[in-house]
Parts: sequence; C-alpha cells; structure tokens
Amino acid sequence: MDLNDALQGKTYPPVSFAVEDRRVRAFATAVAHPGDGVPPTFVTAPEVAAGLANVVADPDLGLDLAQVLHGEQEYEWARGLRVGETVTAEATIERIRGRGSMRFLTLRTIVRDEAEEIVAVGRSTLIVREDG
Amino acid sequence: MSPRASDVAAGDPAFEVSRVVTREDVRTYADASGDQNPLHQDDVVARAAGFPGIVAHGMYTMGTLASAIVGWAGDADALVRMKVQFRAPVFMGETIVCGGTVRSVDVATRVVILDVWVRLERDGATEWPIRKSEAEVWLD
Repeated sequence: MDLNDALQGKTYPPVSFAVEDRRVRAFATAVAHPGDGVPPTFVTAPEVAAGLANVVADPDLGLDLAQVLHGEQEYEWARGLRVGETVTAEATIERIRGRGSMRFLTLRTIVRDEAEEIVAVGRSTLIVREDG
Repeated sequence: MSPRASDVAAGDPAFEVSRVVTREDVRTYADASGDQNPLHQDDVVARAAGFPGIVAHGMYTMGTLASAIVGWAGDADALVRMKVQFRAPVFMGETIVCGGTVRSVDVATRVVILDVWVRLERDGATEWPIRKSEAEVWLD
C-alpha cells in the first residue's frame, strides 16, 4: 500500500508521558550522558510514544515499518525535561513528499508541559521505500 | 573546564569522543526510548533486511553524539537545537567517533553553531553514520 498523501497535516491525539527516573537513568547509560541530569535526547521517548505509536497504527496512512528508514532528525529545546513531570506529546504529519519508490514523511512532535508550555519540538523525516 | 563563547572561533575543533557500540547498550536504548523496532534487536530480522546483524538505532547514535556535545559545553541546557542526517548503519562492536568543529560564533549573543558528525572505520573505509549535521549551543 502506498503512503496516503491526503493525510498531510493530520494531527494525532496528544499522548501523556511521565518522565520516570529509572527510565531516564537507563537512557543516560545507553547514550553515555555526562552528569546527573536528563539527556536532551530523552525527548525521543515521548516522541516515540506519540509519533510511532500513532503513525504506524494509522490504517489510513499505509506505512509499513519494514520499509522505513530514519533519514533525518531535528530537535529544538526550550528547556530540558525534568524527572517527575508529566508531559504531553502531539504528533502531526507535517509533510509527505517524493515520488515513485522513495517517499519522505516528516513527522513533527510538540512536547508540552503541565502548564501547556512548549518544552521541545522534534522533527523526524522517515524515508519510505515503496515497492511496485 | 567549559568553553566560553569568547574563547572559541570558527574552524576550531571542539571535541572528538570514541565509543564502542554494544548490544547491551542498544538493548537498554530500545527499552528506555520505547523504539522496539526488531531491526535493532533481532539478528534474523536485520539479516532479512540485508544487514550482517542488528543495526543501532539512528537515535542511539544521535543521543551519543548529543552526549559528546553536552560534555564539551559542560551543561545539558546549553544544547538548544540539533539537526542530523543519518547516512550509514552502525553495527554491534564497532567504534564510533563523535566529533564537532565550530562553524560560527556570535560573541554578542554567545550562540555557537557546531558542525557535528559520527564516523567509523569499516573494512578499511571510513563510513559516516551522521554527517552534514549541526548543533546550536549557547555558551557563557
């Protein structure tokens, strides 16, 4: 099934994500983060929870995870995440481009805190290979 | 000793940090990030996709690069923006080198733009899992 261009601009329901100390510490170990704080790229965890979970599961989009490569990733941080807080992550299909067997899907995820302030914005560009 | 914006200049090498990629760290990364794509965990799936074995998450490699940036800047909050392109896979047991050089410095705002990359040596050739990428860091 080919990617459905009509879903460009679609925003998925926000997902709630608790920043747990144990998970932060495991992440910090995995990426060799110096110091005691939350690694900046821990924002990937709420991004995955909101984005991948929604997009892969969306039957209208037609995304086959086996055909996907991660092409680009961008983050802008307003501040670092804090252990103990609960944030929400809202994913939007910002752009679908490319023709033929190579398509590019850019997913924007906005992470907000309990006061609705933006903590970070992530942009993932997925390269989708389409057969036939 | 953390660098100050007034101490750095365009073209300066900033950091170069080596790290061996282990199955254990990639497993830990999968659980902590929530990215459970079997390409990063199951050798059978990875071989079916044409790789010799599991591939590290691009985001694991980006996270390790971010750690090198934070180590150089001395403060996790100093990293305010990062944009990377994934160009090559990373396999288990390989040694990645995370590097950065200063592209520009604005002494008035203390904003430093770094060119950042991740490279490795494989079969006598240099591969670039991350290249043509940048980070924005606010120094004191």
